[in-house]
Amino acid sequence: MQTKTITVVIDENGNSTIDLGGFRDNSCAKVAEDFRGGDRVTKEHRKVSCLQDAESQVQRHTGR
Amino acid sequence: MSKYMECQTVLGDRKFLVAALAELGYHVEVHPEGAALFGYEGHERPERANVIIRRKELSPASNDIGFARSADGRFVALLSEYDQQIGYDRKWLAKVQQIYKEKQTIATARAKGYVFQGREVVETAGGQQIRLRFGVR
Repeated sequence: MQTKTITVVIDENGNSTIDLGGFRDNSCAKVAEDFRGGDRVTKEHRKVSCLQDAESQVQRHTGR
Repeated sequence: MSKYMECQTVLGDRKFLVAALAELGYHVEVHPEGAALFGYEGHERPERANVIIRRKELSPASNDIGFARSADGRFVALLSEYDQQIGYDRKWLAKVQQIYKEKQTIATARAKGYVFQGREVVETAGGQQIRLRFGVR
């Protein structure tokens, strides 16, 4: 099982990026919310690895 | 599912704002109901703020710097034109915001049960970035 990690980078302007890695379920939405705090989201996207994981999960499900 | 998010920091929590200013060496006054700011000649100014750095901590010709809570809950910095010219400018405010965000992130993550795994300072062309890493129990 891949380790779940959260990396927060706070830039020189005081703004941040939140990078969630290793999440294979929908818990990442809650985790992202925990780390966002009251901040305003300016950009958000799922990572490529995540889309591939989701795709393979769908294929497994349809194969049953 | 993994995710990537960019956020604009909102100064909304007084205790992290006070802690950030303390880390920069200021002894701030906290006024939940707001208090007047004073100008360089010692005259009361019309602006009121909830977190105040008095001018004696800045420079002989400085005005008080204040952070006033706005209607939407955010703290807004009140900086005189003179003080912006001597270094209490957007860059200074960004430093306050960076320290604020670091303190808020670590405290919130710990309170929610995440495991703090480390802090790294990365030098970039634009300035220092702070990288915080957490794990899930």
